[in-house]
Amino acid sequence: MNRRTFLKVMGSAVAGATCGSLIRPAASGAQGVFDANEFFGILIDTTRCIGCRLCEKACAEVNYLPNPDISEKANQAVFKTKRDTSVIEYTVTNLYETEKGKVFVPWRCMHCNQPACHSACIVYALEKRETGHVTWDKRCIGCRLCMMSCPFQIPKHTFQEPAAVIQKCNLCYGRFLQGIVPGCVEACPTEALMFGTRRKLLEEGKRRIAQNPGRYINHIYGEFEIGGTSTMYLSAVPFDQIGLRTDLGLKHYPEYSMVYLSAIPFIAGLTPIAMLGIAHVIRMAKKDAKEEHHDHHEEKEKH
Amino acid sequence: MEKLETVEIVKEKTEKREIRSFGEFWRFFLSELKPKGNPWTPFNLFSGLIMLLGFIFIIYRFVTGLSPTTNLGQEYPWGIWKGAVVNSGVAFAGGGYTLAFIVYILGMERYRPMLRETVLFAFLAYVFYAGALTIELGRWHLFYNPFIGNKYGVSSVLFIVAWHFMLYMVTLALEFSPAAAEWVGFKRARKVLGAAALGAVVFGVMLSIHHQAGLGAMFTMCKGKLHPLWYSEFMPVLYFISSIYAGPSVMIIVSSITQKLYAHRVDEEYRNAHPGIVLGLAKMCAATIFAYLFLQLILVHHEHDLYLITTPMGFWWLVEVGALAFVPMLLFIHGVQQKNLATINLAAVLALAGVLLNRLNNVFIAYNWYLPLSLKYYPTWQEVIILLTIIFIDVWVFRWIINRMHVLSKPPEWARMEKH
Amino acid sequence: MENSAEEMFHYYDMFATKGVDYLLVLGILVGAIIFWRFLNMDTSR
Repeated sequence: MNRRTFLKVMGSAVAGATCGSLIRPAASGAQGVFDANEFFGILIDTTRCIGCRLCEKACAEVNYLPNPDISEKANQAVFKTKRDTSVIEYTVTNLYETEKGKVFVPWRCMHCNQPACHSACIVYALEKRETGHVTWDKRCIGCRLCMMSCPFQIPKHTFQEPAAVIQKCNLCYGRFLQGIVPGCVEACPTEALMFGTRRKLLEEGKRRIAQNPGRYINHIYGEFEIGGTSTMYLSAVPFDQIGLRTDLGLKHYPEYSMVYLSAIPFIAGLTPIAMLGIAHVIRMAKKDAKEEHHDHHEEKEKH
Repeated sequence: MEKLETVEIVKEKTEKREIRSFGEFWRFFLSELKPKGNPWTPFNLFSGLIMLLGFIFIIYRFVTGLSPTTNLGQEYPWGIWKGAVVNSGVAFAGGGYTLAFIVYILGMERYRPMLRETVLFAFLAYVFYAGALTIELGRWHLFYNPFIGNKYGVSSVLFIVAWHFMLYMVTLALEFSPAAAEWVGFKRARKVLGAAALGAVVFGVMLSIHHQAGLGAMFTMCKGKLHPLWYSEFMPVLYFISSIYAGPSVMIIVSSITQKLYAHRVDEEYRNAHPGIVLGLAKMCAATIFAYLFLQLILVHHEHDLYLITTPMGFWWLVEVGALAFVPMLLFIHGVQQKNLATINLAAVLALAGVLLNRLNNVFIAYNWYLPLSLKYYPTWQEVIILLTIIFIDVWVFRWIINRMHVLSKPPEWARMEKH
Repeated sequence: MENSAEEMFHYYDMFATKGVDYLLVLGILVGAIIFWRFLNMDTSR
């Protein structure tokens, strides 16, 4: 995406973000109201990533986190292990040995279209913004159900603090409101990361797949996975070889708890009525039995 | 003879007392705070020591955060507090609604002597076990946010559970309040509170169905992280069904203990009815476990998990469902057939161990089961001490109330008269 | 190997277990009768 179209898209998005209310997809069930394709996201082309970790450095600078050492020497040590994001690293790059050689994979919050963390949050501290960003707010009470629910294990809790916080990538929501692209995208020297609406990103991803036969496998990870995510991946090798879960299914995660939640009103309304009915019937039956018993006695007395 | 006399004295005391002013109540309350009997028993010393240590750790945890005292981490955000205290504790308190349902809705009056004890147990369990959630919260200073409306997360299962905990605590307090009113001697309040009983029970059973199932529904979004043998979309139903037998199982054990230890507080009627009540509850437990096993069987088959039985996690699952659900069911049946209370007590202990293991499995043992052993969660000894502290506070308060109010015996004469 | 998404097509029958499910339920219902009679058998005397 060039600069002009980016600003154009951004203008409308900012208007939407400031004027519109925040959506609550799982709460209202309004899945069709906001077109998921207008969510902003990042397309990660793992065939272009060179493992320079400049995105990690930029992320740390933008979010005021400890600055990582990204010298050549440090990188060699870092890529020996598979790292997860942490309370001080919102994005990490991992190295995977695949059937087509070494592949570097940047990893961060997937910004699901219907996030499990949002629907699990007891105070909506984690929110899916209208623009696609999943952000965290200070009203959080620290129950950590988001951590239990997130299929990618993205929310990270600062257990060592008395007033702990949830730390995760927020797709640089603050920068977005100022009209600037996320730090990692800006820093990427090879354009392995691309920022834009899902619609544009999917178009671009499909164009790349079509124009470079044999370079990619014909699938964009995140287009349909768990109902679609705003962080999406292109890859030359099957996704399970680069550490992405392929066993999560296509259903939105909030739908799994929806079964229980939609039963609540029915149980709340019907069980008291049923119980009072049962109690009444049993009381009547007892009364009848008593009267019958009484009549029986009277008859006996007559004889 | 001595025991009977004490019962008489207690009765006389409660019947004569009538409190009119707040100052009078306060003096009465302070006089009741004094322990009855010798407080220096081995159990008191042991539990007191643990509690002292526990309070220090709780304060330390509040000041320094979770990581110095617990092993909780990014892979296992929930540990033994959530598993043993909240999830299991609430299931164990399930007797509160099952027995209320049996007595008030089904009108089985023969279970009534055990009702107050059960409601008291459930109430304290909710206050202390659900209250222990606060210790577990990472931002405990904001625990009131879901209640005051600093955004209601209405799509959250935990939101339902939290609100139902609160409402159910109030309901249980209302169900138990007649006993408290009798103890203090609030005659007018006793009359009003007694009249609200059926409404409170109906409301309470409805709330219980919700939040017992809700504790299971918290795991419905753990698909892919909870082992397939434990995960199913029907976890709310499993949780609800298992609470139906967990509650009475606890009450079988608790009532057997109180019958022995507090024999001087138990009246003739309850003492005579107790074996019959236990037999009835055991029968109910057996039938419910049968239904639970049926559900497990269907779910394992339905979700294509049968091939996992031969893996290590499969054997662990068999321990939980086989040794700690199927075996207790057989023991319950045997106990009912033989009218053997010892067998029934053993069965209840095993069944409870099964429920506890199930909750722990869901929270951390079978959760993220694919992680290497070095990343696994195990509780620190400080966590265990705090856990024991919560249980011991519960026991102490339970004991204190049992020794003072009409829990194991019928209400005093004046209260009974007004009820009819 | 390329474009494997199309080649990897296979049909997954969501209701493959249904038939056995119903059989299981029938079995359980019969089992429940036996269970109930067994539970109410008094062997204490």
